[in-house]
Amino acid sequence: MILDLHNHSIVSDDGRAKVENYCQWIRKREIPLDGFVLSEHRQFDAVSDYRKLEDEYGLAILKASEVETDYGHVLVFGVNEAMQDAFDFRRIDLPLALVLREVDRCGGVAVPCHPGRPRVGMCAHFEARGPVDGVTVIETRNGGSRASEDERALHLAEERGYRGVGGSDAHIVSHIGRCVTRFPAPIRGMGDLVEALRAGEFEAVSWKSTSTS
Amino acid sequence: MEIDVDKLKREWAGSTFDTAEFEISADDLRDFALACGETAPHYTDPSHPDFRAVPNFTARYVGRRILPDNFPRLSDGFGFDAGKCVTVLGPIRPGDKVTAKSRIHDIYTKTGRSGTMLFIVHRMEFSNQRGESVSIVDWRMVQRARS
Repeated sequence: MILDLHNHSIVSDDGRAKVENYCQWIRKREIPLDGFVLSEHRQFDAVSDYRKLEDEYGLAILKASEVETDYGHVLVFGVNEAMQDAFDFRRIDLPLALVLREVDRCGGVAVPCHPGRPRVGMCAHFEARGPVDGVTVIETRNGGSRASEDERALHLAEERGYRGVGGSDAHIVSHIGRCVTRFPAPIRGMGDLVEALRAGEFEAVSWKSTSTS
Repeated sequence: MEIDVDKLKREWAGSTFDTAEFEISADDLRDFALACGETAPHYTDPSHPDFRAVPNFTARYVGRRILPDNFPRLSDGFGFDAGKCVTVLGPIRPGDKVTAKSRIHDIYTKTGRSGTMLFIVHRMEFSNQRGESVSIVDWRMVQRARS
């Protein structure tokens, strides 16, 4: 099963893609995705209901979040009310250690994303201030990162034994499917996705060179 | 200097700080549509029975003030336009007189490759001479937050 774990819709302030348009693009371009995750910036979209689109297009559409920490941006999977009570998703200065601890305590998985980017990626902060315990998975393939930034992320993962996921970080429809994550087991919902991420059963894949945009 | 966004929002968001009126002419509607590359006759031909403004027409307008009087200076630079989002609520036609009320709708920060950015969302709400809401324009201005 192949999922794109990192995308933004118009619910994010800088997202320019409607979720239905992502679905249409995937089907029209015959991108071999089984689904995608919406990780809206600094919030969790508890309101939008995409079940009708899931049925119409035969895609899994899951919801997560991308929060901002003192060590860069972090994808949060398995968001629930307890987690939203534990820290303020709107803040841009959340301590990474707090996010890792609370997400884990609330049954989710926190995944530092685009770690190779300056300022908003974890690598530079690790080099400047030292590593933070509790990281197990990072985004090693990001559709919006430069090749050198993905290389930096891969190097960090190898060095520290992190598992890597892939996500497109799409903000417009034609960017979905640039980077994905392959899971050997079926992912029927967010519970399955969190379980697979915790178990480390996945691999990051980059389709950047083959994507049609 | 750390920016207290919640305090800024409490103090500045929500209150109307500017009101401006605009009279709509057929020439303005046609010229704007053509400048946008529009070809549909109900946007470009004033003789069309359903002639009206293109959806983004109200994005052309600015009020007399961009920010409220005494709004604090939050950046060392001038910032830049981060784009406009137009919501169409009703048709705008020749002869209409639209009133635009401006307020700060939102203030927030985010981090990117270049550092911390402060976004101010300036909202203009347009209504016609019958008091009907016809358009909302959210204009995002971004400034580099002082560090």
